[in-house]
Amino acid sequence: MAGGGLMMSITLPGSTHLLDNTSPGSAALNAFLSIAPDGKITFLLTKHEMGQGSGTGLPMILADELGADWNKLSIIRSDYDRKFNWRTMGVTGGSSTISGMWDVLRKAGATAREMLKQAAAKRWEVSTAILKAENNFIVNTENGEKLEFGQLAEAAAQLPVPESVTLKKPEEFVYIGKPVKNLLTEDMAIGKANYGINTDVPGMVYASIEKCPVYKGKLKNFDATEALKVTGVIDVFPMPSFEPVSPDNHVQEGVVVVATSTWAAFKARKALKIEWDPGKFATANIESLKKEMSAVLNGTMDPGYRRGDTDKLKKEEGYEVFEAEYDNPYQAHALMEPINATVHFKGDTCEVWVGTQSGERVTKEVAKVTGLPEDKITTHVLNSGGAFGRRYYCDSSMEAAYISMQIKKPVKVTWSREDEVAHDYFHPYQKSIHRAVISPEKKVVGWETSLCRTEVYASGLNIADIPYDFPNVKTEWKQLESIIHPGAWRSVSEHSSSLGKESFMDELTRKLGKDPVEFRLELLQEEIRKEGNTDDAERVYNYRKLLRERHVAVLNTIKEKGLWNNSILPSGSGKGIAIENFGGTVCAHIAQVSLADNDFGFKVDKVSSVVHCGTLINPHFGKGQIEGSIIWALSALKYGGVEVEKGVVKQRNFHNNRLLKMDEIPEIEIYFIESDEPPSGLGEPGTPPLAPAVLNALFDATGKRIRKIPVTKEDLQANSI
Amino acid sequence: MASYQLKVNGKQHTVEVDPDTPLLWVLRDNLKLYGTKYGCGIAQCGVCTVHVDGLPIRSCCVPIEKLENKEIVTIEGLSEDGSHPVQVAWKKIDVPQCGYCQSGQIMTAAALLQRKPNPSDEEISRAMKGNLCRCGTYTRIREAIHEASKHQQS
Repeated sequence: MAGGGLMMSITLPGSTHLLDNTSPGSAALNAFLSIAPDGKITFLLTKHEMGQGSGTGLPMILADELGADWNKLSIIRSDYDRKFNWRTMGVTGGSSTISGMWDVLRKAGATAREMLKQAAAKRWEVSTAILKAENNFIVNTENGEKLEFGQLAEAAAQLPVPESVTLKKPEEFVYIGKPVKNLLTEDMAIGKANYGINTDVPGMVYASIEKCPVYKGKLKNFDATEALKVTGVIDVFPMPSFEPVSPDNHVQEGVVVVATSTWAAFKARKALKIEWDPGKFATANIESLKKEMSAVLNGTMDPGYRRGDTDKLKKEEGYEVFEAEYDNPYQAHALMEPINATVHFKGDTCEVWVGTQSGERVTKEVAKVTGLPEDKITTHVLNSGGAFGRRYYCDSSMEAAYISMQIKKPVKVTWSREDEVAHDYFHPYQKSIHRAVISPEKKVVGWETSLCRTEVYASGLNIADIPYDFPNVKTEWKQLESIIHPGAWRSVSEHSSSLGKESFMDELTRKLGKDPVEFRLELLQEEIRKEGNTDDAERVYNYRKLLRERHVAVLNTIKEKGLWNNSILPSGSGKGIAIENFGGTVCAHIAQVSLADNDFGFKVDKVSSVVHCGTLINPHFGKGQIEGSIIWALSALKYGGVEVEKGVVKQRNFHNNRLLKMDEIPEIEIYFIESDEPPSGLGEPGTPPLAPAVLNALFDATGKRIRKIPVTKEDLQANSI
Repeated sequence: MASYQLKVNGKQHTVEVDPDTPLLWVLRDNLKLYGTKYGCGIAQCGVCTVHVDGLPIRSCCVPIEKLENKEIVTIEGLSEDGSHPVQVAWKKIDVPQCGYCQSGQIMTAAALLQRKPNPSDEEISRAMKGNLCRCGTYTRIREAIHEASKHQQS
């Protein structure tokens, strides 16, 4: 580090039990902070910063336990480093950064604090019991004497690492729970914030790739004569696909243009003459996919979870079966920073600069593309301009590695916006049928979920995802091959499944003539029962217990604050509610809509949200994540969906893959439930319940039941219910 | 390829590029001014917004040949030290999440306040609707513009 001097670098060898060694070859080691002689604290950021605030939220946790002065803290981003494991570095996703690092960083901070106290105790020849850490000082509480952390760091670093440490009580937190400002804002406000796309390596050239328009199609032949005449073009050659290490990383075949500027590469692409072999998806389109999905849903499916016997109940006299089918289409990420990567292949080593949610996956894939051992790859993980699941995949790094090998120069690959939209790793398509079996006493005694989707993961299938208590449950599913590349999109399978589940809950509520808040509370009355004696049964039991408690707390808060039964809405307005869990965080949205004379026939006037995420680390960030999720999901509801004709994605840029603009933002109010429980995530949980809340509100306003997104004016004018 | 004289953030630059090269790529690839971002290339997202003779323009769609003798200001030149009222407000409200669109948001907001020192909510919406934010920081952007307006007038 610049400035040198004596520093403490604390490693916690005794803490391996904290970490899940889920990644082969990883060793647990915590080396998150160093303290310079002048008291400056450096925090090593091992998780990706993509706008979710990890670069501020994580050091807040450590600084709090340490007793640090926030103003003396700065962060550095770690390159991918195999000494960290999957949990502490491997992937940033699933809204698991804060929850996964909570224990690790608290213990790291508390351990360093205790070592500093011990160093001070030695120097003053007093007991550590009378010492406290505060604002970057160790203070003697009896005589007020104090020593700055920087004065103790060197001595502290020589001491044995304590086996166990006492963590702060929630009431002792100084930073946790406060709206501490984003450490990156200063740089962002003056245009100095760094992103992968800003990478500038001496001698670097620029590349862009004309990709086969049909998923998994092949390059047949091409003519580069005209492209090579464009000023600045250096080379034109084919981009092959690769056999990836991880099957979810796919490189689409294409033609590479290498040039002296990004613009020259973009321009020359337009002058290429290419013949493609579109392959197996040559005739693929959304209408056929939807028909196939509906047929699958009405046929034999793969079993999911079973409890009791819904099939038998359905045949009983006096029992009614109530069902509805829902449609949740593909969605594009439309990240503001287009996909990119810079790679310098140097023969026996290789350097990568990329904004990625997994430096580990990038390293493994680049090692395979280049044929170099993993320890010869250096992956510099840069901040990214939004990731939302898309930057979990490594395709751009693989492309840049291949190109750098061919041209023997460092190269920055930049995808055009059209590439980013049309060759996205799309949110999967899902159709679902939900069924309730209603007894003669008007009780819901059976619950069935059938899902058909274009990706292997699915929520709502496992009992762990179902907080409501139904005596009989049956889930089933089937995966259909995707016609475009599927991927993780903010809130992943929960967004797909919540639309059906929470819309159906509303339909059921109305059928039974109940209040939607009270009806859900009724279904949450029963204590969760453990099913089986395995470790997994224990895990599911504990998780469902947490979900039940949090659902009840959120619904009761809605009642207490009068958010649901607050007022009588004017004619032409309506409100709807939906509630969903994502990774332990439970979020409910109440949407208020009104009919409007615009392109949609309606507008969303207000969204009120109640969120239970355990300890809220930073309310400013937390609120930002929920607001952002609402706006994200509302974009999908109004403008989303992906059109595919003859295998080609029709959306190309922001004119036909539209996003919500400032003048369309509803009023948003957010309440967090106060809690001392460990934190659960906030990046994704606000997304899933938004669409069903709005669809339910539209029903309330119009009496029209819309069971799909995006919602169009035609949907509102249709005669169906 | 031709030679062009450009004035960016008060400094003269000579660049050798094709006449149709958009200002955006000259700023980024030639002048290494990375504060101005690439977003769409068709003036649909606003992340590349800079000022030309005081007006906000989408630099991805303006060819370099039309910019000789014009005053170009990028986010790096909005103030010397981040002290422009809009930048101060952005920091106070702590607007950004990923931050990628924020240079463009700030440049558009600064131009708005130049024209309308005390904009209404509607005027803010109208001026800012060409600037997309995928993180959804719109509420804070609006708040920061009001804040900057107050700060500018005091």
